[in-house]
Amino acid sequence: MATETQTKNVSVNNFEQCLKCSICTVYCPVSAVTPLYPGPKQAGPDGERYRLKDKEFFNEALKMCLNCKRCEVACPNDVHIGDIIQAARIKYSTQKPKLRDMMLANTDFMGSMASPFAPIVNPMLKLKPVKGILHGVMGIDKHRTFPNYAHQKFETWFKKEAAPQQDQYRKHVTYFHGCYANYNYPQLGKDFVKVMNAVGYGVHLLEKEKCCGVALIANGLAEQAKRQGEVNMASMRKAIAKGHPVLTTSSTCTFTMRDEYDHLLGIDNHDVRDSISLVTRFLQQLIEKGEIKLAFRADYRKRIAYHSACHMERMGWVPYSTRLLRMIPNIDFVMLESQCCGISGTYGFKKENYERSQAIGEGLFQNIKEVHPDCVATECETCKWQIEMSTGVPVMNPISIIAEALDVEETRKLNEK
Amino acid sequence: MKFDVIIIGGGLSGLTASIALAEAGKEVALVSAGQNSLHFGSGSFDLLGFDEQGKAVSEPIAAIAQLSEKHPYKKVQDVEKLAQQAKQLLEKAKIATFGDTTSNHWRITPVGALMPTWLSVEGMVTVQEPNQMPWRKVALINIQNYLDLPTKFLAAGLRERGVEVDVKAFTLPELQALRQSPTEMRSTNIAKVIEQHNLIASVADEVNRLTSNDYDMVLLPAVLGIKSNAQADQLLQLIKTPANYVATLPPSVSGVRIATLLRKRFTELGGTFFTGDQVVEGVWEGETLKGVKTAKLDGTVLEANHFILATGSFMSRGLAADYTHVYEPALGVDVDDLGLDRTNWAKIEVTDPQPYMEMGVKTDANLHCERAGKTIANLYAVGSILSGHNTIKRLDAAGVDMLTALQVVHNIVK
Amino acid sequence: MNTQRKNYDVVVIGGGITGAGTARDCAMRGLKVLLVERYDFSTGATGRNHGLLHSGARYAVTDPDSATECIQENMILRKIARHCVEETEGLFITLPEDDLNYQATFVQKCTEAGIRAEIIDPKLAKIMEPAVNPEIIGAVKIPDASVDPFRLTMANVLDAQLHGAEVLVYHEVVELIIEQTRVVGVKLRNNHNGETFNVYASITINAAGIWGTLIAQMAGVKINMFPAKGSLLIFGHRVNNMVINRCRKPANADILVPDDAVCVIGTTSDRVPIEECDYMRVTPEEVEVLLTEGMKLAPSLGTTRILRAYAGVRPLVASDDDPTGRSISRGIVTLDHEKRDGLAGFATITGGKMMTYRLMAEQVTDLACQKLGVTKTCQTATTPLPGSEKKPELKKYSFAQKASEGRHGTLDANVKHGDVSNDALVCECEGVSVGEVRYAVTKLHVHNLINLRRRTRVGMGTCQGELCACRTAGVMGEEDGAQRAINDLAGFMNERWKGMQPVAWGDNLAEAQLTATIYQGLLGVDKLAKERRLEYYEI
Repeated sequence: MATETQTKNVSVNNFEQCLKCSICTVYCPVSAVTPLYPGPKQAGPDGERYRLKDKEFFNEALKMCLNCKRCEVACPNDVHIGDIIQAARIKYSTQKPKLRDMMLANTDFMGSMASPFAPIVNPMLKLKPVKGILHGVMGIDKHRTFPNYAHQKFETWFKKEAAPQQDQYRKHVTYFHGCYANYNYPQLGKDFVKVMNAVGYGVHLLEKEKCCGVALIANGLAEQAKRQGEVNMASMRKAIAKGHPVLTTSSTCTFTMRDEYDHLLGIDNHDVRDSISLVTRFLQQLIEKGEIKLAFRADYRKRIAYHSACHMERMGWVPYSTRLLRMIPNIDFVMLESQCCGISGTYGFKKENYERSQAIGEGLFQNIKEVHPDCVATECETCKWQIEMSTGVPVMNPISIIAEALDVEETRKLNEK
Repeated sequence: MKFDVIIIGGGLSGLTASIALAEAGKEVALVSAGQNSLHFGSGSFDLLGFDEQGKAVSEPIAAIAQLSEKHPYKKVQDVEKLAQQAKQLLEKAKIATFGDTTSNHWRITPVGALMPTWLSVEGMVTVQEPNQMPWRKVALINIQNYLDLPTKFLAAGLRERGVEVDVKAFTLPELQALRQSPTEMRSTNIAKVIEQHNLIASVADEVNRLTSNDYDMVLLPAVLGIKSNAQADQLLQLIKTPANYVATLPPSVSGVRIATLLRKRFTELGGTFFTGDQVVEGVWEGETLKGVKTAKLDGTVLEANHFILATGSFMSRGLAADYTHVYEPALGVDVDDLGLDRTNWAKIEVTDPQPYMEMGVKTDANLHCERAGKTIANLYAVGSILSGHNTIKRLDAAGVDMLTALQVVHNIVK
Repeated sequence: MNTQRKNYDVVVIGGGITGAGTARDCAMRGLKVLLVERYDFSTGATGRNHGLLHSGARYAVTDPDSATECIQENMILRKIARHCVEETEGLFITLPEDDLNYQATFVQKCTEAGIRAEIIDPKLAKIMEPAVNPEIIGAVKIPDASVDPFRLTMANVLDAQLHGAEVLVYHEVVELIIEQTRVVGVKLRNNHNGETFNVYASITINAAGIWGTLIAQMAGVKINMFPAKGSLLIFGHRVNNMVINRCRKPANADILVPDDAVCVIGTTSDRVPIEECDYMRVTPEEVEVLLTEGMKLAPSLGTTRILRAYAGVRPLVASDDDPTGRSISRGIVTLDHEKRDGLAGFATITGGKMMTYRLMAEQVTDLACQKLGVTKTCQTATTPLPGSEKKPELKKYSFAQKASEGRHGTLDANVKHGDVSNDALVCECEGVSVGEVRYAVTKLHVHNLINLRRRTRVGMGTCQGELCACRTAGVMGEEDGAQRAINDLAGFMNERWKGMQPVAWGDNLAEAQLTATIYQGLLGVDKLAKERRLEYYEI
């Protein structure tokens, strides 16, 4: 009997695969910039062992973890260090989220409140006195500028301008646009529709889309995240039943729904997970299979530096996007060294984290300045804010670059056959 | 996705093979499940430190000729030539080393032992002769509260060899801040703090304050320069006395730097990197490996004409042992378990040559793997996953990693 | 000191829990005491058992006297040794293959012995202890707990010292000094330097566990001991939070105890020759039995990392020809050799259990007092041990401080916390700080890394010393010679490996290879170590 059960010797408690080699510490962006954070090894597998003995061993300093998962990518023994830390926060933290955290976490609520008043809200959020209040009263750092809220939500645009034409396509996908494309930057969603239509796919939205919940998890609102996640999963099941894969443009939403739902929130997503994909991956796979072709404008020239967003790195999907981008004939493509930008969603917005956040990103900013690209490509919207604010270099989602470089007519023709 | 060659494993052997193939114009993908044992390195590359009788090796080429037939070096056709190539490969990746195959030099370990080695990273302390220390008086300067350089042992090791040693320590406000963490006063964090705050000049001032012309060598913990050698070099120039670095307990900053620079070199050559992912199964067609599936890419099959298995030994999970068997977990290729059952894998004394250390995958003379007893013509194994040698007893890890990798590249490219 | 004649009221032989407890009791009654131990404290059976604070339920059916003693001592130790005890409570479970009728007998016998035994619904048992085998058909809740024998022994030693006792570790009794028909003292050998000298005492108390039979032999007295080897496995973390026992007659591997950050399954029971008691090794067959039977208590043991295997020898007093020793009473045996063998000034305390050490100490101290005409009564049942005066409040502390307070109780006040040089952790698995190492080295009779491990858990975590051993060696004993420290380090790594080797597969084998890569490949510790000290006390 012992022979059978010890055959795998893989503990259900993944933390004890840790060999204590300390490699995670090398790649933790936080422990180098603050001595208050115990580091991934101590916060993760070491701490977990003692927390199992007595929950009093939980340390609120674990909230300093960015959840960037770079420790997990670096771990040679497949220990889910970041998951262990986040799960411990959910399980043991007794601190209640502040109003500020609730505000930052509820990205879709804030968006739906702000969007109708965008002409007023945007300039207001940039005013010094308003920033002063946000900084002093709310604890949102004064250096930060809230991303603009769009005058028209992506969903509104889509229903009015795009939806009617979508049924004419033979093949279909469902788009999970996320809060950012909806409230802040509808152009991303429009670029998505442009490319998908060009390769012969009709685009549809989910019956009901809720924020993926990444900010809720980070701000200690796991229960709410779970409720929203269940709504998303239910809507996705319906889309998948129709044979529509669910595509995204945000690496973080994708990662959250595919992995964090199951690992941290206990949402059963096993029947949905494989059908959720990032658009670049989806396209790249179809091209590999010879099912679609892309044609690019000959005059499109740009020096593009690719930044591997943390969750993109964690998903292991960077090569899909970079191989796709490299298909654009006349671009000058540079891989930036893979490192965290420091913003980590809402983390960098909090005034207590601002300096840490900038210190973490410093290496990346330097690297970008040395490479001196026309634009940085990345799938993460918060990386975009951080990099643009800190370097002045514009940041684009790879699908927007594809949309910009695409010869739409030629592509349409190629894919009509 | 289709490539010319897919390398499984991103340690020294896998990176060496990947870079050499990319240099040869191949389209290469590297699948790497986390970081590697360079992180436990010494700042030197060992070729053959001890022969099979346990005697320290001074002339490695001659000693390699004496190794038993099962040693992986016996599958390397021209050790001297490939060793030269390995050194050049490092150089092109901006890893400057000194040393050659004609004679080993000696690295000084963090506890003051001397170990024969082949190449050392510029700036690391080494000596030519173990019985002839080139210094009269050494200042060993640590950073306060940095526990991963046990200066007591290091000083004793040097004194034993007739060197006068003074042990001193310094700190800086920024390092003091780091000290507040009970767990994170580690080499790489020190390196990051020094880098972030541009502390090189301040460190040099501290070192100069603690030393005088009375010393003919200053030794410092190797805790500088994660991304390049620039800062480490700069510090040595600013110190008035000749100065060198001495290896620390892991994580090894010089090892991290070597890994970073090799990855960078590979990426610059246009190689595709699948990071933090692991191969979970092979797609076979008869005795040919058509592709591999990984944990992260769902169903995507990574296809190639050739594959190289460079996943390391047990500690890197290239080999796995359960209650009854030793096996190769990624592709299920044949393993040489020395015909031992579990109760004989390990010997009672920790310093005994441990049988499990010699286990590895079976390969033919051209380093092809076997599966169910049959040779796989397009699958090779390189580095620590190879059977037939005890890396710790022979001190041959880096040499086996790089030379077998280059040999396989040669086998593929020709 | 070598030539000077030293006189004591009592010399206690043996630094296990019984010896330490006896030294404490004697000292508290005002006797002039010397405690001698040939190696370190708790190197024998004391440090090689489950760490179970028996409720006595295990013996209720087969050995009711022991059961009664256990429950009484159990309640006492919860009060006087709070920092050594974790009040986990325990379950006696019935599996489908067991006879459920036994449960009723069991509960009745428990009640008779004064052990609160409560039959509970198996469903409730599964909620109380989620790790328990879900197949259970019966469950009884009993007041078991876990106890740290290293801490308990140390606390007794410290209290003995506070009451004036002298303590010599690494001093071995090589001869009993006999004048006519009286033992008047012992000849001691310093095991570090080989020097010998005599000490004299009115009474010599033999509390040497299984080795007590050899001590008695020195006086020409025969004690028929039954050395019963018991092997155990340590798992990497706590699978269970309650003690889990099988509700049947005692058998192999039927107790799983949560101890500190790990859990321990055991034991086996086999008679071994006395000569082998110094060289216990766990065999592959024992590993197989422990795993197979252990998984019946908590199936998840089958997929949990095993850290090490170890074995101890129970000092049972033989009474019949039982080949395993299972049916021998765990009752206390106090031998007044004056009465029994006509040899005055000599007493042996043996049998019993770690659990009942205090009572054993009380009984033999009563005997000594009676001989010496001392009337002061025993206070050990009501006086808290040092460190256990009050309950700690963990919340305000750092990880290391919490861990340290868990180990030292209120004596943690002696550990420097709150300044950077003392707060740095040497052992990250177990949260051992530089300050704790310094405290242990100066105050807790630490001569080497293995001693330090017993005081602080350094190197007892998941990695078994992979980085911490070298760091710690660099910190401790600054005044020590470096050569001695490096020998010590090499010895320590060998000792860690001895426990890992019988279970070297899976992650453990990977860990071993990484550790060897660091210590031998990177550091070359094996090249520097000049001495291979492999005597028993290093094991």
